[in-house]
Amino acid sequence: MAGLRWCLVVLLAFLTALASLGDEVPGEGAVTDHEGHANCQPGVGQRVQVEFASSVVEHEYIVGFNNYYTKEARRNFITAALNHSGVVQWKILPRDNPAKHLPSDFDVLEIRESDPGTGLAALERHPNVRRVTRQRLVVRTLKFVSVNETELASEDAPEADEEEEDAGDAAEEGAEEPVEGSEEGDAAAVEEGDEEEVASVKFQPPRRSFTLGNKAFWHSTGRHNGRKLLKAVPRQVTSILQADRLWKQFGFTGKGVKVAIFDTGLKKGHPHFRRVKERTNWTSERTLDDAVGHGTFVTGVIASQADCLGFAPDAELHIFRIFTKKQSSFTSWFLDAFNYAILKKVHILNLSIGGPDFTDQPFVDKVWEITANGIIMVSAIGNDGPLYGTLNNPADQLDVIGVGGINFEDQIARFSSRGMTTWELPAGYGRVKPDLVTYGSAVRGSNVGGGCKTLSGTSVASPVVAGAVALLMSAVLHRGSVINPASVKQALMASARRLPGVSMYEQGAGKLDLIKAHHVLSRYKPQASLSPSYIDLTECHYMWPFCTQPLYHTGMPIIVNVTILNGMGVSGRIIEGPTWHPYPRQYGHLLQMSFSHSEVIWPWSGFLAVSIAVTEEGASWDGQVQGHVELTIESPPEDGDTEPRRSTVRLPVKAVIIATPPRSVRVLWDQYHNLRYPPGYFPRDILNTVHDPLDWLGDHIHTNFRDMYQSLRAHNYYVEVLGEPFTCFDAKNYGTLLIADPEEEYFPEEAAKLRRDVDEGLSVLIFAEWYNVPVMKKVKFFDENTKEWWIPDTGGANLPALTDLYNTLTVTDTSLGVLREWWIPDTGGANLPAQTDLEWWIPDTGGANLPALTDLYNTLTVTDTSLGVLREWWIPDTGGANLPALNDLLAAWGMAFSDQVVEGEYKFNDHDQYYASGTTLARFPAEGTVIRHTLNDQVSEILEGTKQTVPDAAILGLYQTRGAAGGGRIVLYGDSSCIDSNHNQKECFTLLSALLHFTSSGQLPSTLQPATTVPVQPVLELPERADGSNLHRHSKVLVNDLDGRTQRPLPPCMERLWAVPQPVNQSGPVNLYQSAKLLSVGLESPVLPLHNDQRDSLEEAQTTWPDPLEDLDSGPLGPSFRRPHLPTYGLVALLIASVCVLCYLYRKSRRPRRRRTKQAVVQQQQQQQRRALSASNGRVPVV
Amino acid sequence: MMLAWVGQKLCRLLRKPPVLAFILLLSLIYCLMSLLDQRLLTLSSSDPDDPSARPPINPSLILESVRPDGNTTDDPGPVALSCRNSVQGIELIADDRGHVCERRHLVSTGCCDTEIPSTRRYQCDSCSEHGCCSVYEHCISCCLHPDKKPLLHTVLGKASQHRYNLVYSSVTDQFELCLTKCRTSSLSVLHQNVYRNARMKFCYGVMAPPLDRTE
Repeated sequence: MAGLRWCLVVLLAFLTALASLGDEVPGEGAVTDHEGHANCQPGVGQRVQVEFASSVVEHEYIVGFNNYYTKEARRNFITAALNHSGVVQWKILPRDNPAKHLPSDFDVLEIRESDPGTGLAALERHPNVRRVTRQRLVVRTLKFVSVNETELASEDAPEADEEEEDAGDAAEEGAEEPVEGSEEGDAAAVEEGDEEEVASVKFQPPRRSFTLGNKAFWHSTGRHNGRKLLKAVPRQVTSILQADRLWKQFGFTGKGVKVAIFDTGLKKGHPHFRRVKERTNWTSERTLDDAVGHGTFVTGVIASQADCLGFAPDAELHIFRIFTKKQSSFTSWFLDAFNYAILKKVHILNLSIGGPDFTDQPFVDKVWEITANGIIMVSAIGNDGPLYGTLNNPADQLDVIGVGGINFEDQIARFSSRGMTTWELPAGYGRVKPDLVTYGSAVRGSNVGGGCKTLSGTSVASPVVAGAVALLMSAVLHRGSVINPASVKQALMASARRLPGVSMYEQGAGKLDLIKAHHVLSRYKPQASLSPSYIDLTECHYMWPFCTQPLYHTGMPIIVNVTILNGMGVSGRIIEGPTWHPYPRQYGHLLQMSFSHSEVIWPWSGFLAVSIAVTEEGASWDGQVQGHVELTIESPPEDGDTEPRRSTVRLPVKAVIIATPPRSVRVLWDQYHNLRYPPGYFPRDILNTVHDPLDWLGDHIHTNFRDMYQSLRAHNYYVEVLGEPFTCFDAKNYGTLLIADPEEEYFPEEAAKLRRDVDEGLSVLIFAEWYNVPVMKKVKFFDENTKEWWIPDTGGANLPALTDLYNTLTVTDTSLGVLREWWIPDTGGANLPAQTDLEWWIPDTGGANLPALTDLYNTLTVTDTSLGVLREWWIPDTGGANLPALNDLLAAWGMAFSDQVVEGEYKFNDHDQYYASGTTLARFPAEGTVIRHTLNDQVSEILEGTKQTVPDAAILGLYQTRGAAGGGRIVLYGDSSCIDSNHNQKECFTLLSALLHFTSSGQLPSTLQPATTVPVQPVLELPERADGSNLHRHSKVLVNDLDGRTQRPLPPCMERLWAVPQPVNQSGPVNLYQSAKLLSVGLESPVLPLHNDQRDSLEEAQTTWPDPLEDLDSGPLGPSFRRPHLPTYGLVALLIASVCVLCYLYRKSRRPRRRRTKQAVVQQQQQQQRRALSASNGRVPVV
Repeated sequence: MMLAWVGQKLCRLLRKPPVLAFILLLSLIYCLMSLLDQRLLTLSSSDPDDPSARPPINPSLILESVRPDGNTTDDPGPVALSCRNSVQGIELIADDRGHVCERRHLVSTGCCDTEIPSTRRYQCDSCSEHGCCSVYEHCISCCLHPDKKPLLHTVLGKASQHRYNLVYSSVTDQFELCLTKCRTSSLSVLHQNVYRNARMKFCYGVMAPPLDRTE
């Protein structure tokens, strides 16, 4: 016992000592966890061995959830899951510990039933349940063993145990790892290397080896996913990505690769860069230098040669200054600069910028042109995370490598924008983006004034990839046109390491793996590939959101938008297929597929939208189905080929089918009537949101209504999306039509159909928004920057450039003047580069003489945007929602929303709710239930600046219609902000679920029964459509003419052509992920082994470049060679010599005038005598 | 006491002419060095802001330049050993002889296969009288026509006045000039995010594309 205490004291002392060591403490902490016993060893001569035994506890299960939830929420989930399973006897075992009031991610459940399988299966099916495991009783014992016992056995044991404990999805994911040799191999290899390192470098302080241990830790992606020790890590990205292996072993340093950096410029002669080939300025400012620091940093990450190293120090840098000091830029500047980059034949172009406007056609076209000319474009995905659907252009384009950010803990950085793309909405479905992720948080890079600094943001992650590509490219330059934007993207994505538990909209293909990418690229054979490379609708969490809801007959088809990458040539076509091959043995024939794809795969890329639905045969079937889709792509011959190049790709498909759920639990989300920012000006739904005034998100259940979607799924509702008018769905299938924040008008046919549907039992739930014409006129704005691009500087920041323009509800828009309708493909997919499908409108009421001013601008006489060339007044096209249109729709039931705008807090069922700039009810049937709260009047606040309240504002109305055959119910709520994750407001999912309970069952929950119901006094004046609104320019319903009120004819509903199935008698693998691989050719060049035992050490985060001089000697000295050595030094020598001569002359001229003292004269005489003597006999007598 | 003594000594030392001269010389050297350094650096990196650093555009040098195979651009023969081409097209490709052909009719030299009937030379089909075309490859082909040289002279002359100077001073011959001139540029857009004319946006002429006011 005494021995143990002593040991603990030693351990404590050791830990304290570690704490004083600083940086590496946490990492070492991790080590002590494993090997704490070993640390006691020197003093005691004994060590503690941990043993444990575990046994299964009968009837008790641990139910793990996918997130942290409150006790009530967890109970609700379990209740919901077990509701229909037939399990009666169950209870949640109370856990009495100090954390019992905090949210948790698991519960201990006791189930007693005859057939335990059904209950557990029901639990596992619940979308919020991550796993169900048996409760185990673990007994741990500590015992002492003497040191001389074999180390190995005791060391391996606890680690293996821990892995088992950690198990769960982490272990599953680990098994799925695509990397040959898997993680253990990698980690082991690194550890071995470490030992060698320690052995060879004798004087190394012991703590270094711990840092080495950490390195294995970073790459052991997901090993310890659940909990991680925070640790200080060296932020030298080049070392973490093992660029030093390519530098040292092969001498690749980016030589011969031209990299263009479009940013804020770079100052002359920065000590970090040795090959700045050219600096050009494309802004209106007359300077080439970087005043912001962004450009220097980005250039540093790509090519710094000192302090904080970049990836490719010998890459030829072309610095394009495209941003002003205020970080603004215009499309026209980009167009000219891109032309110059094409003319200069650069290989790689880094664009650490982005903007939300993907409808800027000249810019989008130019990016296509850039990649079509073989330039690899790398761009930052945006800093608008963690919201989904916030991708930035141009990173969201098919042909561009869009890079997201992770931190050094391998977690997706909070700021990194999440997919999906929203170009394709409402009829289609978004593509997967970002393409890959890499370190973008707290990365070190060059500072303007020399030295290094640390920055975070996807604009940091982008140059990490651009630098890595430059380095890779210098290694494979000899392969010529085989290396192109598509092949590089294919290689990066095929080699990326997937992060476990992270969805594809967050990580794309995964984390950049430089060494493996080199491996793939050096053997690459021209081919086509798909991204994602398979469709596994069951795979959580990667295939979120597809894995959250099974398929069923009569459901709206699920669309998966696959990107085709074609490395065979810039232009290609699908010549065969796509064909659908179900596997009958795996019931694949129960699925039906419909395809739409790019006519031409150009540049290097295209889309393939796969719509998946269940046949009638599968209407009451439960289970998994498999099959595959096949297509052949052809490109014209290149590089001396005589035959066209062809590549056949296969897309494995796996899905889960369930029997069609009852009508009452099926909710239809109206996507068609949502409009948003890029084409027009749609203000935010909350008026006092100052920082980001535009409604620019897609309003899709998988983007900014994602939390709502998950809440609905947790309550076992099935949610489908309607991307077409109301006339295009069969109301018999759905319980509730959910309309939130609609901006679009309605066709009269839609209103008529909805009325019939409600009579036949469809319920409608509307979350409206404010609409008040005077307020809308007040929030008009003065557009100063037609095309303002912003630079993500720090994570999480939103359009910083726009912020300062915004004051007192003045809103800035980035689209001005001519607005256009974007052509959207029928069933998802990206937009085609066909210009004929675009329609253009030019404003008839321009604010100025535009042609003249444009000419003025073009000749660069306009040096400042504040000159007023690009300014115009803009009035919002709608309010938060289009209430006049909604009121027309609701007129049939005697309901309407008012033009009041109210705001304030109230309580629902003891939950605090915030009503953020919502409307109130103006008319509502007297039989209905109305809920009222006293709220603040925002109209008076905005228009007059006075604070007033609206007493008992009617914010919620519930009404049961009296249809012929059990009519549906209508619920109106005046504010949508609380179900929109965009606004960071208090959510109201409890309210939503209560409302859905009413709409689906007709029973009014007690929480929604007010003490007294005062009917709404019908208001005569309803909100009118604003004069001068430009809604018709963006509307799918209105005709774009001067009047702006006439409607288009109702478009026909989408007709899906189901592909003829061609069954194949085979079986698909259980795990689809592994089947994705790129074809390769025989080795042409030396390739780095993937798991090299002689791993370089990381502990010396390299601060010097291997041998720059040697390198320089071999190549011709570029014109940018930094310091003109010889002439300068010659000059200095000459000047010093002349100084000496001058001094000598001066002294000589002064000497005669100097008076000598007697002593001096005597001394001089003596010296002369001595000299004479020494000349005669060589010795001087000592006096 | 000690301090005062040192100070006095220092003052006396500083007052001595040789010391003063030495300091003066040192500053002079520093001044000269930094000046020289600047000048050398300026010469070594191209600086578009400095008009003297960028060579003036010489239209005749560009337009009369000699091809790598020895022919002048004046009358290039229809057959060539190797060609540069427009690389990017979806369907069409223009080579530096002025031919336009389909991608699949490109031979390994990079030239269009002139045997194929669909290959055409100096094709101005989609181009208007303003010098703007709806197809990029037609614009290049049309621009390469020897008749267009006077027009290109004017283009280059005008270009030296504004930002395009930077682009055109890097152009080496008529093909590169046409390749670059035909691309959409700052002259092609109105209000930054729309084309002045979405149909005829590739121009080899002096004029910006005419504003498209039709809907």
